[in-house]
Amino acid sequence: MKRQLIAAVGVAAMVVGLAACGSDAKKTDSGNSASGSSGSSATADGKKDYNGKTLKVWLMTGSAPKGWTDSVKSDFETAYPGSKVDFQIQEWTGIGPKVTAALSEGSVDVLEVGNTQTAGYAATGGLLDITKDKAAIGGADWAANQSESAILDGKQYAAPWYVTNRVVSYNKDLWTKAGLSIPKTLDEFYTALEKLKTTEGVADPIYMPGQEWYVYFGLLTSEGGKLAKKDGDKWTGGLSTPEAQKAFDVYKKLQGYSTTGAKDKDEAKPQQKDVFGKGDVGAMIGLGWELPDEKAMAKDKIGFFPLPGKTADKPSGAFLGGSNLAVASASKNTDMAKDFLKIALNDKNEGAVAASGLIPNKTSLNDKVVGDFASAAKLAAVVGGITPTTPNWASVENDPNPIKEFLTAALTGDYAAAAKKADDEIAKRLNAKQ
Amino acid sequence: MRRSLIGRTWPNVVAVVLFVFFAFPVYWMISTAFKPSKDIISKTPVFVPFDATLEHFKTAVNVPKFWTYTANSFIVTVLAVVISLVIATLASFAIARMRFRGRKVFVLVIMAAQMAPWEVMTIAVYLISRDNEMLNSLVPLTAFYMMMVLPFTIWTLRGFIAAVPKELEESAMVDGCTRTQAFVKVIFPLLAPGLMSTSLFGFITAWNEFPLVLIINKTDGQTLPLWLSSFQTAFGNDWGATMAASTLFALPVLILFVFLQRKAVGGLTDGAVKG
Amino acid sequence: MAVHSERVQTQSPESGKAAVATIETSAARGDGAGTAKKKSARPADGRSIGSRLAPYLLLLPATVATLGLLGWPLLKTVLVSFQNLNARQLVQHLTEWNGFENYTEQLKDEQFWAVTGRSVAFTVLNVFLIMVGGALVGLLLNRLGKKMRLLLSIGLLFAWAMPVVASTTVYTWLFETRFGVVNWLLDSLGWHSMAAYNWTGSQYSTFFVILLLLVWGSIPFVAFNMYAALTTIPKELYEAARMDGAGSVKIFTAVMFPNLKPFFLATTFLEVIWIFKAFTQIYAIKAGGPDGLTRTLPIHAFLEGSGRQHYGTGAAIAVLTILILGVLMAYYFRIILKQEDEL
Repeated sequence: MKRQLIAAVGVAAMVVGLAACGSDAKKTDSGNSASGSSGSSATADGKKDYNGKTLKVWLMTGSAPKGWTDSVKSDFETAYPGSKVDFQIQEWTGIGPKVTAALSEGSVDVLEVGNTQTAGYAATGGLLDITKDKAAIGGADWAANQSESAILDGKQYAAPWYVTNRVVSYNKDLWTKAGLSIPKTLDEFYTALEKLKTTEGVADPIYMPGQEWYVYFGLLTSEGGKLAKKDGDKWTGGLSTPEAQKAFDVYKKLQGYSTTGAKDKDEAKPQQKDVFGKGDVGAMIGLGWELPDEKAMAKDKIGFFPLPGKTADKPSGAFLGGSNLAVASASKNTDMAKDFLKIALNDKNEGAVAASGLIPNKTSLNDKVVGDFASAAKLAAVVGGITPTTPNWASVENDPNPIKEFLTAALTGDYAAAAKKADDEIAKRLNAKQ
Repeated sequence: MRRSLIGRTWPNVVAVVLFVFFAFPVYWMISTAFKPSKDIISKTPVFVPFDATLEHFKTAVNVPKFWTYTANSFIVTVLAVVISLVIATLASFAIARMRFRGRKVFVLVIMAAQMAPWEVMTIAVYLISRDNEMLNSLVPLTAFYMMMVLPFTIWTLRGFIAAVPKELEESAMVDGCTRTQAFVKVIFPLLAPGLMSTSLFGFITAWNEFPLVLIINKTDGQTLPLWLSSFQTAFGNDWGATMAASTLFALPVLILFVFLQRKAVGGLTDGAVKG
Repeated sequence: MAVHSERVQTQSPESGKAAVATIETSAARGDGAGTAKKKSARPADGRSIGSRLAPYLLLLPATVATLGLLGWPLLKTVLVSFQNLNARQLVQHLTEWNGFENYTEQLKDEQFWAVTGRSVAFTVLNVFLIMVGGALVGLLLNRLGKKMRLLLSIGLLFAWAMPVVASTTVYTWLFETRFGVVNWLLDSLGWHSMAAYNWTGSQYSTFFVILLLLVWGSIPFVAFNMYAALTTIPKELYEAARMDGAGSVKIFTAVMFPNLKPFFLATTFLEVIWIFKAFTQIYAIKAGGPDGLTRTLPIHAFLEGSGRQHYGTGAAIAVLTILILGVLMAYYFRIILKQEDEL
């Protein structure tokens, strides 16, 4: 009796067909699977064979101004008939590992990279060296202070796209109600916030969660401090310095006015634009695209000014955040990708970026920068700065970001201990081998 | 008399308290999803959404690619569960009904496989998928989700098969059925509930999976858990929309639970009576 | 048919999954009845090659799947743990062996040991609460009348059926600082300092939320199984014990516990595994924060590996995690292997 074998077959039969007892249970075998699946695509291409070629482009959420993607897409698809541009919008949270993985796979052709992270990605070898193509893409006119964030060891790994910086956005209605004008110094700003606190209808004078490290960076720049310094070939964190402590005192005082901003949250959780959009918040410090939806709050209800400095002659420093556009070295369409950069960064499209209030990559387009936000931002951009351009910097910004943790810890506890801990972590990450 | 009244009352009181404890979060999720925003962000919570709105569900569903995510989730989950049931039925029949060399080793491996810490093996899974050019597709997801639920499925089904008295099978064979037919006629009806309750577990596991799809599928082939988590980031304190999204995400599992749990219990009793 | 009727009773709990683990416990128990019959039903020898091959054929798909889909990733994890694999190596597909460096780095790292200790303590506390809570709820289910049992079962079913990603999101909303219903409740109960309490601000309060979430989600499974196991104990046993003058404590230790032992073994086994591996709940609540103080081993491996893109380091932590879990589970493996011997 081959009982066990029969049983085995039986189980298999049951599983496959759930056949009824006694019946022969012949399956409809259908051997004709290879029917005309190829179809009649016919490919009636008289033009170049870009047919079916898709250029995958990663943009970060909030970067591209309205209409920009459509304009670039149609420009490119006209220049490359039959091709397609596939824009994917990515979130900043946890972007580092995601980009690295994508670069290793060749699953992306063109990508937006943060200016503080470009050197890091370049060092992995994942970005295409575009030094030779720089002129063709329009590199002769690039603003040097933007372009340098994409240069590593003398080679150009990305094209600058834009920079921007944070300013104070304020609720005009509430400020009028409190009888306030635009402050020229930090002390005046404190007084204004004090007054807002007691104004009716104000739930929070300024919405400022504790982990707005870009704001802290600006204050640190004002004091002449640095997040990290290189001594010889070793990096050391700079938060234990007197400059850092002074900057932190200002930060702490400002944050102290925020009655609803949690000390352990950053500006994205919740999105501060949503909080501000509720209409009972006096002010926030944010970027041009971090404004409430038109539905929630009309544009003309919001005013802007740069975060004032200790004296009236210049505002506090600012973090010059920005983005570059890079071509992945694993891309199979590098020529198309380079041309994409050319089209995306031409004066028409880059002009649209400027018109949205961002500072464009060419000074010649600066006069296109319009809007209340941009005119306030420009004042602070002059005293703006950027994080150290070193390959490992990107890993400092990886979650958990030691600077954010430092801010929370110092706001709720001992400064020296928090600073020491963060400095150690920053040094550890910057000095890590690759 | 008074004592016994208390004695009779307290279990019921505790039961009600526990009911609230377990059910409230689910209720709160659903009710928040239906409340207008002003009732959500209010100093005193509104406990019953009298002026219910579908606004938040619209926001949740209108996220680009929502339907793609949903389809992906269903395809991956259902395939993973079905395949694992097929493989597990074969294997569990062998270890429940047959004796052979290596049986113990296999049982041990299945036990150990339940401990597999998939969450920390993501990078290995990623590298394997990448080097076989299977990224941004549903194939590796299906395969690995299948493997995630396979050990538990085998382990459980083996118990169900072992629980079917051998006499039933034998008496069917006395009646003239072959062993295969006996299996189909006798064991299978008794096994059906087992298959259902096991598939329920498999469904939950695969439906929930998050760390793996995060790294494997960055553009195409994303699933609902990713949608839900990115939703939370993107919509921040829009709790109405977030809760609507959570409700939508939980719905299939809740439905399945209500449906399968009845079938599972009922089916088993039926089979037993017939047997 | 005594066996059969006992089985039917076993299957009667409110939910399908309860039945699952009950069966499992009885499987672990060794299925005495089935074994006795097997011998008579099977010829002792003289089996053909085909029938000897049958079990292997049946196991083939499972074996292939396990080797390919679990064995391979495991091997790969071990291999990566001996490599210096960072962003650069990943992007350029480079392989740089670095021996035991990742391991020595971890074993010398204070944080690793802190995380390990925390993981073990967290698992022990959590599983203890789940088992005690689940057992008590199971006892309650057994004691309740029909209607109340149905009510409580529905509540448990809700908690159980909630997908983890959804329930985690709901808990963040319940414990939200300004508009969370928990803070409102505490405030209106008179604990006014909790009105705007930030639950994820400190280590213990964050752990509290995570703990509650895990216990809430895990108790139903244990409770249903406990209840199912209780229903398998014949009523006569209680009566006999009572007639012998046993008190409720005595009844529990003498009558119930011996019958429930397989249930406790199997569910504790599963809960230890599930809690130790818990990832989504901890990660989504605060990503191991504040200040890394709620990191457990899986979170640590993920953050150090994928988060910081030191994949070799992450893999080394993963391997160490597997080893630690293995040590924790060794006791269970011995028990279960013993039972396999008896089968």
